[in-house]
Amino acid sequence: MTDAAPAAPRPLIDSNDSRRPTGLLLVAIPVFLVGWLVIWPIINAIVRTLWRPDESGAIGFNLDSYVFFFSDQYSINNLTITLWTTLMCAILLLVICLPISLYLRFSAGRLPAYVQAMAIFPMFVPSIILAYAFIRVLGPNGMVDILLNSVGLPKIRTPYLTPWGPVIGLVWDNIPLTVLILLSGLGNVANQAIEAARDVGANRLQVFWHIILPRISNSVLVAISFAVLGIFSSFTLPYLLGPASPEMMGPFMNRTFREVNDPLNAITQAVITFCFCIAFGLFYVRSVARNQGK
Amino acid sequence: MKQLAPALVMASGRRKSIPVRIPTDWTGIIFAVVLSAAVILPLLVVGVWAFTEVWRYPNVIPQQFGLRFWNQTLTRADVWSALTLSLQLSTVVTLLSAAICLPAAYAFARLSFPGRNVLFFSFLAGHAFPKFGLLIAIAAIFLQLNLIGTFWGVVLIQLVGTLLFMIWIPVAAFQSVDRRMEEAARDVGAGPFRVFWSITLPQAGPTIAAAVLLSFVGTFYETEGAWLIGAPGIRTMPVLMISFINNQMVIQYGAVLSVMLWVPSFIALMFARRVIGGGAFARGFGG
Amino acid sequence: MSVLKITDVSKIFAGPTVAVDNFSLEVGDGELVCLLGPSGSGKSTLLRMVGGFERPTSGLMTIDGDDITQLPPERRPTGMVFQSHALWTHMNVFKNLAFGLKLRGLPKEQITEKVEAVLELVGLAGYGTRGVNQLSGGQQQRVALARSLVLEPKILLLDEPFASLDQHLRERLREEVRDIQQRLKITTLFVTHGQDEALAMADRIVVMRDGRTEQIDRPDVVYREPQTPFVAGFIGTMNLIEGEVSKGRFARADFRIDIPIPDGPATLAIRPEALDLEAAEAGVAQVHRVTDYGTHGLVDLDLGDGTRLKAMVAHPDLFSEGQKVNLKPQAMAAYRDNARVYRS
Repeated sequence: MTDAAPAAPRPLIDSNDSRRPTGLLLVAIPVFLVGWLVIWPIINAIVRTLWRPDESGAIGFNLDSYVFFFSDQYSINNLTITLWTTLMCAILLLVICLPISLYLRFSAGRLPAYVQAMAIFPMFVPSIILAYAFIRVLGPNGMVDILLNSVGLPKIRTPYLTPWGPVIGLVWDNIPLTVLILLSGLGNVANQAIEAARDVGANRLQVFWHIILPRISNSVLVAISFAVLGIFSSFTLPYLLGPASPEMMGPFMNRTFREVNDPLNAITQAVITFCFCIAFGLFYVRSVARNQGK
Repeated sequence: MKQLAPALVMASGRRKSIPVRIPTDWTGIIFAVVLSAAVILPLLVVGVWAFTEVWRYPNVIPQQFGLRFWNQTLTRADVWSALTLSLQLSTVVTLLSAAICLPAAYAFARLSFPGRNVLFFSFLAGHAFPKFGLLIAIAAIFLQLNLIGTFWGVVLIQLVGTLLFMIWIPVAAFQSVDRRMEEAARDVGAGPFRVFWSITLPQAGPTIAAAVLLSFVGTFYETEGAWLIGAPGIRTMPVLMISFINNQMVIQYGAVLSVMLWVPSFIALMFARRVIGGGAFARGFGG
Repeated sequence: MSVLKITDVSKIFAGPTVAVDNFSLEVGDGELVCLLGPSGSGKSTLLRMVGGFERPTSGLMTIDGDDITQLPPERRPTGMVFQSHALWTHMNVFKNLAFGLKLRGLPKEQITEKVEAVLELVGLAGYGTRGVNQLSGGQQQRVALARSLVLEPKILLLDEPFASLDQHLRERLREEVRDIQQRLKITTLFVTHGQDEALAMADRIVVMRDGRTEQIDRPDVVYREPQTPFVAGFIGTMNLIEGEVSKGRFARADFRIDIPIPDGPATLAIRPEALDLEAAEAGVAQVHRVTDYGTHGLVDLDLGDGTRLKAMVAHPDLFSEGQKVNLKPQAMAAYRDNARVYRS
């Protein structure tokens, strides 16, 4: 329609129909679920850990559980291993996925299609099956050991049940989405912008540094945010592949909640993970919202 | 490979033409080999284990292949009860999710009401926090409500996990249906409901089906919520796998379960991804 | 056969924007009336109101005397062809056409019969089993037309149906549509912003501007005798010169011409083909550019104060850039207060 300038996406038939709260009614249940099972637990967790009875029984502002967490060497160790794992994963993901994405963006044909399929494949492998496969391949007397032995090499020092176990598993698990997000960012880099840069004499590295990187920096941050949010409080892979002590925050919270049966300290640990991830979470939400707005 | 073929045809077709040498794509070959080793090998090993009866270190190939462990796995009572429970859970969660999310998605796509945008983005909230931390916070509330270890507790927790997918993907699907198609249907005499049924739904159908499929498969393999909220009463398939791995039971059990459960879901997911497309997939994650 | 009557219809959108302002029109039996106007003139909104997709803020619409103003689109005897054709891509051609008939509960044989007859009419016999995405743009638009025609609507509504097609196809299709409309004698309301289309197809043209009627007339009359300076400027090429009339003489820059109207401001309208040029040392206009089109030439002129004029000449080689000329209009009209006050 070239005519009628006001409000292009006008509702069918009559704009008055849609002003009625029918819409609100239709979205009520999902919105209620989000409020009850996402927003409320978070508020509840924060309030419950900050506003509770002290030794004398008087209810008031109380930081005891946080003081305990940060004075307990075991908790600190767990937090440290979590931060270390997250950092290692983020670095490894970038080192692995950026070259793959760049390669995929600037080549076409059957081989790149195969590489892309391989890079995205782990998305369809549930982490529980991944954990099982990891043990069979990298565990003691696993496939790698078998292969090394068959060519007369010594066994590897297995990463199973060491801090490297979760790192390898989590990186494997997060490659597909990181590649997809980076690829979608690279899609915004126009071929002509690169050709123009080559034309004025930039070499490949300069093109990457001056032309490509500034354009995809947002995608890189989104990819990292997404990975960090997933890795920081991951449970299954660290629980199955990681060491028993120190353990990552996921298994730690699980144990505090279920085995030690101490919900208060478990919630305190949860709130602490929230605080460490808040910047990434906000950035992630902002990017998605902006993307949707386009 | 593909690049070489036309060059060869050209060379043989016109003898005098200069043979075109296409540079070998070494980068691609290296990526392909390394990724294959890292991605296919582990799954291949699992697949081999599932059909192995005896495989002692350091043999490269199992000494004895066979289906004995399929039989053993499938006759275990805990496997069957976990499988039934997981299927029940996934079905209930998916149906509930579709029932509450699809009307909501239609409302977000086509109606205007106060607070529409804020509510739409509120579904992101669950993904802006570290998942397991959030689960612990929810578990603390369920503890007070006596929902820990119950079927419906797990249903609730998994239902929340499907909301974002089940609303955002169908919203995009509904929005991409051309208004004029709906108007044309009204024009030839269809009432509003008939238009939705005969035009809007079929047009948005494949994408919505993919979202439903995603939520079914996602729920089936959901591990952390089921583990934290469900145990000890509710043992889903992934929870059972965890105990198989932890207790170092017969290796083949895990392998058999992996192969059995993973193959159908893989096919389903490939279908889903074809419909939704990689681009939309990544955008949904903020790329 | 049917008559569409629109009486004092207005549409005000939230904003508030007046899209259609007190519009009245009667489309006679078997007549094809074209709503012509620039973007934002309210022509599409008017058509959508007749189709039932917008509800008028006020006014009355009747078809054969029956009030349809408040009816939803599915209960109106109108058939609309959309600009983007809006075919249902999940149905094949046959199903697209049969959908409306099925809703009316017709027996299968009758549906098949009707669909095949209409496909024949639009020149797509045998295309029933094709998917709509397998068709070319022109074929898709024909299917859209057939989808409306198969229901034998009393009023056919066409919303810029050829806008998405290329020039060549557009010309062919508009002839076909006109033929079909004549053969079926179907009352038709047609929206376009292309004057060629309106001039070629319409029995009558409604020129619209800002939601109001500027002129309703036969195409040749609209072209030859535009009632307002807007219509004069919108249809065909027209030189519009703003100036002052004093003692029966119109003046703009050095250009003077006698017009027997009272003193005051006036707009002079001269078609390029009615503007003769006469080379003169002390001419009132200067040749700015000469373009030779082979069959004729076009001379761009400057009155010396920035006012640009065009004149069509038989021998462009007689003129050259920078040359001074005098203007000899063979026919002209003068407008004042949006109405024509003089014509020669």
